[in-house]
Amino acid sequence: MKAANESSWKQLIPPEFLEPNWRFWSFVFISILGSILIVLYTVPVYDGLTDPFYTPTVLILPLVVLFRLTCYAYRKDYHRHLFNHPNTCAADVRLDSGKRGYTGETGFFRIENVHRYFMYTAWGILPFFYYDIYHSIVYTGAITVSLGTVILTINAVAVTVYTFSCHSVRHLIGGYRDCVNCPANRNSKNSLYRFQSRLNGHHEAIAWTSLIMFVFVDLFIRGMVAGIIPNIVLIHGVL
Amino acid sequence: MDSVTVSVYRRDPATEKEGRYVDYVVPREEGMVVLDAMKYIERHIDPTLSLRWNCMAGKCGSCSAEINNKPSLMCKTRIDSLKDGKIKVSPIAAYPLIKDLATDVSQNWDLLKRIPPFTPREGLERPWRISQVDIERSKEFKKCIECFLCQDVCHVIREHKAGYFGPRHVVKAASLDMHPLDSLDRSEFMNKDAGLGYCNITKCCTEVCPEEIHITDNAIIPEKERAVNAQYDPIAIFLRSRRKGGKR
Ligand code: SF4
Ligand code: SF4
Ligand code: FES
Repeated sequence: MKAANESSWKQLIPPEFLEPNWRFWSFVFISILGSILIVLYTVPVYDGLTDPFYTPTVLILPLVVLFRLTCYAYRKDYHRHLFNHPNTCAADVRLDSGKRGYTGETGFFRIENVHRYFMYTAWGILPFFYYDIYHSIVYTGAITVSLGTVILTINAVAVTVYTFSCHSVRHLIGGYRDCVNCPANRNSKNSLYRFQSRLNGHHEAIAWTSLIMFVFVDLFIRGMVAGIIPNIVLIHGVL
Repeated sequence: MDSVTVSVYRRDPATEKEGRYVDYVVPREEGMVVLDAMKYIERHIDPTLSLRWNCMAGKCGSCSAEINNKPSLMCKTRIDSLKDGKIKVSPIAAYPLIKDLATDVSQNWDLLKRIPPFTPREGLERPWRISQVDIERSKEFKKCIECFLCQDVCHVIREHKAGYFGPRHVVKAASLDMHPLDSLDRSEFMNKDAGLGYCNITKCCTEVCPEEIHITDNAIIPEKERAVNAQYDPIAIFLRSRRKGGKR
C-alpha cells in the first residue's frame, strides 16, 4: 500500500507513468505521430467511400479511444505488455515486477470504472458506420455495390459485434440479475444474456479483429486515393 | 531402464537459510505424472522429502507446486507433457514455506471468513427451489478445489502484497453474490476492503486454474461491474436508492 504521507495527487499518478518504460513511451510517441499524420493527410471521400477515420466520428474520436482504452480486453493488454504488470504469467520472468510501484486500478486507473459510459457513446456512433455504407451504395444516384462497400460492411459488423460483446453490456443485459426465473422476473431461458455471454467469451479476439479492420480499411481507402488499389464494382443498377 | 531427472526444491526453514535444488533420477513410466515422481523419491530415495497430496485425481487441491515455474497440480501434470530436459519442481512462492514443497496456505481461511456469508432472502418458501438457469453461474464457482494456484500466479499477491484478497476469494464472493437466494451484495466490500481494484484483468489466474473456472471473465469482471453499480455509476446509484433493498 501507498505510504500515508504521500500527497494525494501523487497517489493519482500511476507509478508506471514515472518509469523509463520504453514500451509505454514508444506507444505514446507512435500515437501522437499517428494523430498528427491523420490530420495532416486527410483522406477525401473517394468513390463514395468514407474512410472510417473520417466519418463524423472523428469529432468524437477521443470518446472512441476512451471506450477502447477502458475496455477490459485492452486493459489486459496494456497492463501486461506496456507496463509489464506482469509481462507473462510464468513465475520466473517477473523478477523486477515486485520492486516497481503498482497501484492497479485503485489510483488513476480508477477511471476504468466508467467504461460503461464510454460504451454508451460507442452505441451512439455506430449508426454513422452504417450511414457510410448506405452512402457508398447510393452516392452515384444509381445503386453501386463495390469492393469498398463490402469492406465497409465487414468493418461496421466487426465494430458492432465488438461493442455488443462488451463486458459492461453483459452486466447490463442480465449479469446484474441474480434470479432470472424467480417470480419477480420470469425469464426461464435468459437467452439474450447467454448468447451475449458466448460472444463475450471471445471479446479479446473480437476487439483486436475490429481494431485491425479499422487500420486495414483506412489503408485500403488511402491506397485507392493514391490510385494503387482499384475499387472493383460488383453490382451496378439503376435506382 | 528409461529415466527422468527431476530437480526438486529442498529447504527446511528451521535449520536452513537458503534453499537448493536437488536432482533425483526416477524411473520413467508410461503416463506418469510429476506427483508419481515425487512419491517415488519419498519412498525410495529420500524419505525426508516433504510434500502434500491426497486424492491423486486433481480434486483435493493439496498438491499445488510450481512445475517449470508454472503453478500446477503435481497430480495433473504428466511428465510427457513437459518439454524435454530437466523438470523443476518448486513450492508455491506466494505462501510461507513449511518445508520443501509444503507451504502454509492457512491465511486463506482467515480471508474467507471475512467475506460476508450466505444470507438467504427473507420469507423464502421451503423447500428452497432454484431453477437450472439460475444455478449455473454459481455452480461454475463451486468447482473450486482451493488449490490456490490462482493466488500463487497472481502478481498482486505474489509481488505486491497490496492487501488484495486474490482471485480465489473473488470467486467465492461471486458464487454467493450470484446465488439466486442470497440477499447480499458483496461487491462494495470486495472493492473497498478486499482490494479488488488491484486486479488489472491480466488473466493469469484463469490460465492456471485446474478446474478451468473462467475466473476473470465470470467472477472478477462481473464483481467489478457490480462495484461500479455500487460506487461509481451515478445512474445505478440513483436507481438503487429508489429501489432500496430486495434482490434483483
Ligand atoms: S486477473 Fe486479476 S486476480 Fe487474476 S492474476 Fe491477474 S491481477 Fe490477479
Ligand atoms: S479458482 Fe481454480 S485455481 Fe483458484 S483455488 Fe479454485 S480451483 Fe484453484
Ligand atoms: S493430489 Fe489431490 S489435487 Fe493433486
